[in-house]
Amino acid sequence: MLGSGAKAAKPSFVSYISPEEIHIKEPIEKEVNPRLLPGELLLCEANTVYKYIQEDGSNRGTYGKLVCTNFKIAFLDEDSASDDNEPQFKNKIVGENDITLQCVDQIYGVYDEKKKLLTGQLRKYPEKLIIYCKDLRVFHFCLRYTKEEEVKRIVSGIVHHSQTPKLLKRLFLFSYASAAPNNTDGRNQTVMFDTLEDWRDELERTKGNVKYKAVVTNEGYRVSEKIYKTISKPPYELLKTDDLSSSLPSLQDIQTAYTRFKQLFLIDNSTDFWATDVKWFSLLESTNWLEIIRRFLKKAIEVAECLERQHTNVLLIEESATDLCCVISSLVQVMMDSYSRTKSGFQSLIQKEWVTGGHGFLDRCNHLHKTDKEEAPVFLLLLNCVWQLVQQYPPAFEFTETYLTVLSDSLYVPIFSTFFFNSQHQKDTNTTGESLKIQSGPFKFLTVWDWSVQFEPKAQALLSNPLYAEKPKPDKSQRKTTRFKHQRQLSLPLTQTKSSPKRGFFREETDHLIKNLLGKRIGKFINSSDEPHNSFREFYDSWHSKPVDYHGLLLPCIDGPEIKVWAQRYLRWIPEAQLHGGGTIATAAKILDLMEEVQSLQVKMDEEHSQAISRDVQAVPMLRNSARLSSLFPFALHQRQSIKPALPTSTWKDLEDEDDLVKRDDEFVDLTGDML
Amino acid sequence: MEHIRTTKVEQVKLLDRFSTSNKSLTGTLYLTATHLLFIESSQRETWILHHHIAAVEKLPLTTSGCPLVIQCKNFRIVHFVVPRERDCHDIYNSLLQLSRTAQYDELYAFSYNPKQNSSEQVKGWQLIDLAEEYKRMGVPNANWQLSDANRDYKICETYPKELYVPRTASKPIIVGSSKFRSKGRFPVLSYYHKDKEAAICRCSQPLSGFSARCLEDEHMLQAISKANPSNRFMYVMDTRPKLNAMANRAAGKGYENEDNYSNIRFQFVGIENIHVMRSSLQKLLEVSGTKGLSVNDFLSGLENSGWLRHIKAVLDAAVFLVKAIAVESASVLVHCSDGWDRTSQVCSLGALLLDSYYRTIKGFMVLIEKDWISFGHKFSDRCCQLDGDPKEISPVFTQFLESVWNLTEQFPQGFEYNEAFLLQIHEHVHSCQFGNFLGNCQKEREELKFKEKTYSLWPFLLQEQKKYQNPLYNPDFSPELTLLEPNTVSFNFKFWRNMYHQFDRSMHPRQSVLDLIMNMSEQNKQMEKDIKELEAKIKRKNSQSDAVLVKEPLQSAPPAPMALKTSPCFKKEQPLMPVNDSVRTIEGSNTADNRYSEFMEEFSKAEPAVVSLEYGMARMTC
Repeated sequence: MLGSGAKAAKPSFVSYISPEEIHIKEPIEKEVNPRLLPGELLLCEANTVYKYIQEDGSNRGTYGKLVCTNFKIAFLDEDSASDDNEPQFKNKIVGENDITLQCVDQIYGVYDEKKKLLTGQLRKYPEKLIIYCKDLRVFHFCLRYTKEEEVKRIVSGIVHHSQTPKLLKRLFLFSYASAAPNNTDGRNQTVMFDTLEDWRDELERTKGNVKYKAVVTNEGYRVSEKIYKTISKPPYELLKTDDLSSSLPSLQDIQTAYTRFKQLFLIDNSTDFWATDVKWFSLLESTNWLEIIRRFLKKAIEVAECLERQHTNVLLIEESATDLCCVISSLVQVMMDSYSRTKSGFQSLIQKEWVTGGHGFLDRCNHLHKTDKEEAPVFLLLLNCVWQLVQQYPPAFEFTETYLTVLSDSLYVPIFSTFFFNSQHQKDTNTTGESLKIQSGPFKFLTVWDWSVQFEPKAQALLSNPLYAEKPKPDKSQRKTTRFKHQRQLSLPLTQTKSSPKRGFFREETDHLIKNLLGKRIGKFINSSDEPHNSFREFYDSWHSKPVDYHGLLLPCIDGPEIKVWAQRYLRWIPEAQLHGGGTIATAAKILDLMEEVQSLQVKMDEEHSQAISRDVQAVPMLRNSARLSSLFPFALHQRQSIKPALPTSTWKDLEDEDDLVKRDDEFVDLTGDML
Repeated sequence: MEHIRTTKVEQVKLLDRFSTSNKSLTGTLYLTATHLLFIESSQRETWILHHHIAAVEKLPLTTSGCPLVIQCKNFRIVHFVVPRERDCHDIYNSLLQLSRTAQYDELYAFSYNPKQNSSEQVKGWQLIDLAEEYKRMGVPNANWQLSDANRDYKICETYPKELYVPRTASKPIIVGSSKFRSKGRFPVLSYYHKDKEAAICRCSQPLSGFSARCLEDEHMLQAISKANPSNRFMYVMDTRPKLNAMANRAAGKGYENEDNYSNIRFQFVGIENIHVMRSSLQKLLEVSGTKGLSVNDFLSGLENSGWLRHIKAVLDAAVFLVKAIAVESASVLVHCSDGWDRTSQVCSLGALLLDSYYRTIKGFMVLIEKDWISFGHKFSDRCCQLDGDPKEISPVFTQFLESVWNLTEQFPQGFEYNEAFLLQIHEHVHSCQFGNFLGNCQKEREELKFKEKTYSLWPFLLQEQKKYQNPLYNPDFSPELTLLEPNTVSFNFKFWRNMYHQFDRSMHPRQSVLDLIMNMSEQNKQMEKDIKELEAKIKRKNSQSDAVLVKEPLQSAPPAPMALKTSPCFKKEQPLMPVNDSVRTIEGSNTADNRYSEFMEEFSKAEPAVVSLEYGMARMTC
């Protein structure tokens, strides 16, 4: 079941066009060529491919060329050639009609109006190709007007390169790294945690150096078994152990839930859309995805409570300590450490807990299509949980939901090394190791944290939250008085050393513990204390009754109604969900206007004080005068108009659903004459 | 007062219904003629108006005492534990009596005295002038006129006296048509769109049975379509589900036969009746009242209650109506069964989508006066103001407010008013503190002389309108007569937490972006003021001596640049409904009641305000 999709293909397919309906536009005379990245090779192409504007079941669309390279599948039409149709929020690497090979989720072929999943060898070639993407875009290509050999070549090419098992070394990452001229070292302020210094600095920052020291014990990856992570305070205090594998949903649960959940948004046409709309809430419930998010948030609150209130260390146990542990420990840090709510802090956190922490991105994202069994959207789950916090406490985060959305998209862009290795060890051996054909020595990979690779500054501005309240730097006079509190607050959440399994910096004191834990699932007997469930709620309530400090502890509200769907990520390509001039973007635009007003007023005030110091206003020009921005901004698609007054199809469904009169007994009261 | 058996009980515990710990507050419970009052040992007061009480329940005796649960019409639920069963029983019986009122003059509005003199009272009632409103829409005009047919409520008791009808509809046509319509509610104008020259008209169902017809009624509809020079076709919207309408035929009622009327397009839109709505809300409350609600239970409960589906159906109907007018310039006649519930919902929401005036504070009051109060929505029956038939109770008006709230969520810039405004109106629809919503129709209100004996709510709301203002409101967003196009995909319908959990402390959000924005705007205003002051100072200085200027500056100015870096405005929580005890314009109801506003106020006390808001707010009442 894993990976293959819990929901089977929809039984029938509505064909939008018949050949005679199409008025064939002049095929493109102008030769359009794909823009290729360094190291990118054109593998196959097909002309006169018709791409539907999939929204409304009409047969509108455009002709163009479909190409497949070792990096992406791209559709090129006249618009893309002319380039004056630039979207406002543009990714420099992956265009609107580009699908990286790793972003392809599933490919369906349409044969005689029937949909069939395409995986390996093809015997017959379809007249239509539907590509479902991991970022939830859906592409429909009609191949009826394409030459037969071209159809064969492009279909088998696309299926082969995006759906069949691949060697790690064949990832575009490597061709790009060897071909791209002197890559910039874009580590910015993000701590990469790949040197001992980084760990020492982190301990210094978190005041953990009192009790912990960074040690190199895993030089050459000798301690290889990954068994635990620790969030701990002084060494000889109470320790609570939590076996996550028994107290949280399994990887398989997560994968199953997400597979169902994403089906709600991978919409073929508006008929499908309205069909799901009728029973939206129960469909949402049946996926179980939001409930899983809630369970993880709840667990994170429980761990935070142990650290904050009971001053207990928590040892998170999981078989590999690189999945659920990563989610929980990251969440706890986001909740307790305001540094993790800044952009660089969050990025460092992901470096620490996930990238060097040994989360198996390659397997979990199934980038190489080796096996479906390992696939599970664990990192996406973290982003979903963090999004809940972001939308509950916008001023506490330096980044926006757009940041989280583009970060989730970056999971599938194989020019960054960040999400394309299972562990630091794997990365190291593949970077330096067998110096195969490489003449220029070790590869230099890009990191995703260098956002300028993907976005122009104008677009990058949308990743920063204008509402974010920076942490006030305490002046020295204040420090003395607040010191105690300050330290306490910091020391709890932040004194976290992590045992990076392959290249760990274990605390010496816990080394014996490792041996004891090896191979055993001890969670059950240590866990016997089984804290009363009330204590978590009480903890939340007492935190809730105090004024919120955006730089202190932040606990999410996890009551059912408060866990929401991350609309920007999941609904962004669905025009039916679009609001013209509405949605939260309107609020953001207003805030930016106000900020600018404040700043210009300040400039003016400064001028009045004769020293005109003009401050840089980081304005987001595309949000200005934004009375009618689409709610799907910055991802909005085409506009859609309905002319005649019509009831939404879902309502029609209700009307047609004429169950027997008996069910409508209420209306019989009506007949007594006194009702409306 | 004769109902009050016990006026004071000590050592009563108040429980939080969502807290899992059994923490409680201990205090004293008082019963007054109008309110139930609970004073905690910390002196915090909780006031509950007797009229707000929907149900009282005594639970089985426990070791700590006798539990008493009170459910209010504003969705507050309080859970007391009274130490002695006897006291509990007395309070229970007293409340049962006190929360039931037999006649109008026993309602709170008749004893409520806001310290206005009688000319202020009269002026208050004159604040909303519907004749003025029809003039604003552009009637009377060449095609529409004011009819005096209903001068003495002779034709229709539940309609207002002033009705606008097509000029070509003569009195015999009106009379004939009214005889063919349930309760005499014949087609009249509700809203006139002056750009499209199209009208929203409303009426009740025709008494068509299986085959009856009425020539006057057919003429009436023809007159309406003829009154529209831009499109001769008109829509007739039956807001009921088709089956309900068909069932009504057996009782001699029913719906229009398209064959008998020329140029009409007939359409059912499927909004359920008051009974379905009542039980739907009941289910919703059961779900939202669950402790530690999981997402799945919430979602399935929400689906099963059908509540948001009903809200969606109402908005879908309004969108249909609006498209007919805005896109096709066609007039639309809306009806349901009696034309005072679903019809009011659809007509008023349609007008709100078409005309940005109704998205202003004053305009919204006008809209409620017009489509709800004057056209005879049975507030008294639906809200159970007097002890009556429980089957008549239905949250029809609540649904209207909730639909509007959903629109404000979809278009944060489109509305001058905020959520607090809608909540306050909802509060007073049930409080019986003001005369506006008392009774079922205008005739009844006149007979009982409400305007002389009670006060109008609107001037009080206008007086304190600053706290009902939406900081995101952008008047340029929707110039006059700009259509609002909501999206009615199910995803866009949200559970209205601040309505259903308004009084549940532990369910309140910790902050609101809107409050932050409100503070920022205030901060900007303050800065502008400072700049002006500085400029004035510079001028003065310049005229005195040029040299002093540079040395003097910073003292007079607040350290504003600093303020921005540390964003003081983010530190302080501003209440959804700001509170200030010093001014109490609307008094009487619960002066302190644990609601969201008060909760937030505590925070602001804990942390001294960096941004001082200039306006003094009146306390929210009940």
